Amino acid sequence: MAHPLISVKNLDLYFGAFHALKDVSVDFNAGELVGLVGDNGAGKTTLIRVLCGIHKPTKGEVWFDGTQVKEFHPKLAIDNGIETIQQSVGLCDNLSIARNFYLGREPVRKILGIPFLDFAKMRGESRKVIREFGLRDNVSADDEVERLSGGERQSVKIGRAVEFMNRVVIMDEPTNHLSVREREHVNELAVQLKEQGLLVIYITHDIFQVHKLADRIVIMENGEKVEDARTTDMTADELEEVIRQGGRKVEKRGAA
Amino acid sequence: MVAAAASDTAAQRRAAKRSPLSVAGFKKTVSRHAEIGIFLIAALLILVFSATSDGRWANAYNIGTILQVTATLGLMSVGVALVIGTGEIDISVGSTFGMGALTYLSLVQQIDPPLAALASVAVGAAIGAFNGLLVTRTGTPSLIITLGSLMIFRGIAIALTDGFSFSVPYKMRSGAMYTAFGGDSIGMFNTGVFWLVAALIVLTAMLKLMPYGNRLLAVGGSAASAHSRGVRVDRVKLQAFILCGALAALGGTLEAGKLGFADGSMGRLMELQAIASCVLGGCLLAGGRISLIGAVMGAFVLSSIQSYLVVMGVRPQWFMLLLGLIVVFAALGDRKLRAWALKR
Repeated sequence: MAHPLISVKNLDLYFGAFHALKDVSVDFNAGELVGLVGDNGAGKTTLIRVLCGIHKPTKGEVWFDGTQVKEFHPKLAIDNGIETIQQSVGLCDNLSIARNFYLGREPVRKILGIPFLDFAKMRGESRKVIREFGLRDNVSADDEVERLSGGERQSVKIGRAVEFMNRVVIMDEPTNHLSVREREHVNELAVQLKEQGLLVIYITHDIFQVHKLADRIVIMENGEKVEDARTTDMTADELEEVIRQGGRKVEKRGAA
Repeated sequence: MVAAAASDTAAQRRAAKRSPLSVAGFKKTVSRHAEIGIFLIAALLILVFSATSDGRWANAYNIGTILQVTATLGLMSVGVALVIGTGEIDISVGSTFGMGALTYLSLVQQIDPPLAALASVAVGAAIGAFNGLLVTRTGTPSLIITLGSLMIFRGIAIALTDGFSFSVPYKMRSGAMYTAFGGDSIGMFNTGVFWLVAALIVLTAMLKLMPYGNRLLAVGGSAASAHSRGVRVDRVKLQAFILCGALAALGGTLEAGKLGFADGSMGRLMELQAIASCVLGGCLLAGGRISLIGAVMGAFVLSSIQSYLVVMGVRPQWFMLLLGLIVVFAALGDRKLRAWALKR
């Protein structure tokens, strides 16, 4: 492997006076499943929001496949083949499943040069995902997302990311709201994607769950990267200890 | 035999469920189509107005007039509906309407009506771009920005006319080209009505069948989600504002063509009627859910009420009050209907 697929170098991000990411450097390789772990507010979501183009870093560099990323917008990330399953955003309640599925890259059929939505394709693909993820029988591709349960929404987001997968899939707490069976399905998918040569970044605060799946674990704490270890080198218990200590270190610093 | 009979009744039950004439079917139709309310209100008002006006309201001439007013207000309303669809609002359209009318009238004596109309629409689009750029670049609420431009462009319109009115000499108010922009009627329909129908068809197709419509509604439903899917939220909003300005100016052009003159107060308070049309027509002010045909029906209802008050000889001083009251009651009735439809 000549160079990592995504390389983050000395990244700093401020939200006003708040220092959200502090000098973060980390590499991600193709064909790797990386667990990004840390407590709430550790900066995991902020870091991946930079990778998927939502936030622009204040300082530092992001390299994608050997070229430096200069402009940050979700459209560019998606065009580069980075699919992200986010926690709070990704679906518009007021649109149908089929319309949400292709939002931003709608398939069209041109009639007299005018682009009309290709509803057959939109419905067909989303119906496939609805079946594959075992949504309720009475859910149709034309139903508004508003009607779906938390787990069903998550399933649609994941199904969509898998459908468009090409190079990177970032999953932010993908198993939240999911039933045990759905969770198994998502974890299996994550491993499958990795085996197909994709980079999978799996964000969670459950170190024990992700340790079983991942090749590498990156631990963040208070906006900093505090650990980066292969799962063969450190056990889940050891890593959990690091998370605990990360918290204590901050307390000590505050007291001093 | 028994099985056949059973499946027969099941099929009948299904049919009953689907038929829009049954109560359950009607409920479903109302809950899926927010614009049903305004159609019912319109039907009710047509019945009441016809029955109580002794033929003064329901005659070809009066209906023609109502449709002409509906055309100009309706074009403005569909534009506002598009902006509402993105989760923003444009209350400057009354002034844009006036600027469109003045632009058309000032040019139509020197150049062909189609070119004058094009110039007018371009002025409207420019006002829309002004609003859209300020809203998206600065992140200021569109209510404040467009309140400002409402006053700015009304001020310009008043300053331009300087207390007089722009008008077209009578001898010039003829010819196919002049007729085409609201200048005359074909049968009982002012040509403005055809512009409205054309705009409604094109914009509805755009909203429901094209990628832009999908993105527009997504932006109104959840701008953050649309952004995360790679939709250029600011661009979508800017385009909606430009369309809205262009449509308001087209409405102004058609009204100017019809009247042949305009002063600085042309289109005053129409912005409020346009917003009322949208809300009555089932557009959600929070964004993401709009109905263009509903907005047009809203405009029709408002012009019908106005016309009724005129033909019944109600003194103009009471117009605003009565119009406002009827709008409030219509809105309440519509709300009740929707609440009923969403109840299981």
